[in-house]
Amino acid sequence: MNIQKLRDEAKRAIGRKEVTHLIGYQKGSYGFRISPVFIETKEELDRLTFSPLCSLSLVNYITIEGKPPKDNEEKKSKMKKVALFVRGCDSRALNQIIAEKGISRDSLYIIGIPCNGVIDLKKIEARFPDVLDNAEVVEENGKYIITINEQSHEVPKEELLADTCKVCQYPNPITYNKLVGDEVEGHPANYDEIQSLEEKTPEEKWEFWQNQFDRCIRCYACKNSCPLCYCDGCILDKLTPQWVRRSVDPNENLMFHVTRAFHLAGRCVSCGECERVCPVDIPLMKLNRKMEKDVKELFDYEAGKDPELKPLLNTFNLEDPDDFVL
Amino acid sequence: MSEFEPNIVAFLCNWCSYAGADLTGTTRTHYPPTVKVIRVMCTGRVNPLFVLQALRQGADGVLISGCHPGECHYLKGNYLARRRFLLMRNLLEYVGINPLRIRMSWVSASEGKKFADVIAEVTEEIKKLGHLKSFKREIL
Repeated sequence: MNIQKLRDEAKRAIGRKEVTHLIGYQKGSYGFRISPVFIETKEELDRLTFSPLCSLSLVNYITIEGKPPKDNEEKKSKMKKVALFVRGCDSRALNQIIAEKGISRDSLYIIGIPCNGVIDLKKIEARFPDVLDNAEVVEENGKYIITINEQSHEVPKEELLADTCKVCQYPNPITYNKLVGDEVEGHPANYDEIQSLEEKTPEEKWEFWQNQFDRCIRCYACKNSCPLCYCDGCILDKLTPQWVRRSVDPNENLMFHVTRAFHLAGRCVSCGECERVCPVDIPLMKLNRKMEKDVKELFDYEAGKDPELKPLLNTFNLEDPDDFVL
Repeated sequence: MSEFEPNIVAFLCNWCSYAGADLTGTTRTHYPPTVKVIRVMCTGRVNPLFVLQALRQGADGVLISGCHPGECHYLKGNYLARRRFLLMRNLLEYVGINPLRIRMSWVSASEGKKFADVIAEVTEEIKKLGHLKSFKREIL
């Protein structure tokens, strides 16, 4: 990825009079960290960066800001645009949010970046622990060239690539105003991991998930990092009735995760950020991808393919399977 | 020790299944007394959280019953519910809860006999599965 090209495109974007600011990536405070940056003027442009380390989704910041006070509706209609960078999965997340009327397409100026996959922060930090200075990562010919304190290391891509990126079907942005860089090829659909878990006995599955959810500390990092989790009133915050209690109990955790996974059924775009931010390594994508697989098989639906498509659970088909109905 | 009597929560739609259940009573048809009925306006009203919550609070099974496809009072509520609970069952099966614990049925207002049959069948199945202790909340 040519960063200069990206900066030029960003410069053109914020040069437009309707664009108020641009959301991009900048180097984080230390090591391999990346943080979002909000750019309003041309002088700030050289803070922009893009590398395989940029795993967080910028779509989150759109929905956080996209909630003006209710009496501001009128001002909102004369709304200015926000520019942002999207990768394949972010683009699908945006499409899904637009389809759900969570945000208007007219309020966005989208700069698409075809994505070759991102690095799993946990994997790279395990490999290079205690890096304090900002490190540089460049991808070249199936390898990552990692520069730490002017020393460079070569690591094969497969070893650091995030798990979801290994099975990513749509690495290219679908909806965008401008595309920077060349389109890349996606991977074929692969649900082997899900299938092998499905084939286990109910007891084994129960045991497996109990062991996973046992560790959950309910920090809600998965919820907060999810680009599709933008409801105004989340059921997790409700007290009457309190659907998920605060008590320390694996079943309460199960209740939370099942609810979360179900809320993402037909909406999850498999960016894998929930799994990457989980401090206790719960394989959350196994839940989300199970739903994705079922939705694809049963209803021939994929989230975020088209901003005009109606949300899955708001529609129906007369021929939906009903062999489970008495 | 007496035989295990399952505890089934049934969400019945106001327009068809609830009236159907009423007919079962008025025609004095016998059916197992294992079911606790909650009347909702439409099966489309049943939030998947209701089902989870019922299981958490001690139900061994949940039945969601509404109008036949195409006969929904609100035109499409039952279609939406069908889609929703099909996915819900798959998800629960995936985490190790037997999907037979969540059943749907279409019972119209004139099908008093069918309602009795549905309850008998669901009760029989859940009897075989036994108590759902693992998912129950210890302190309610």
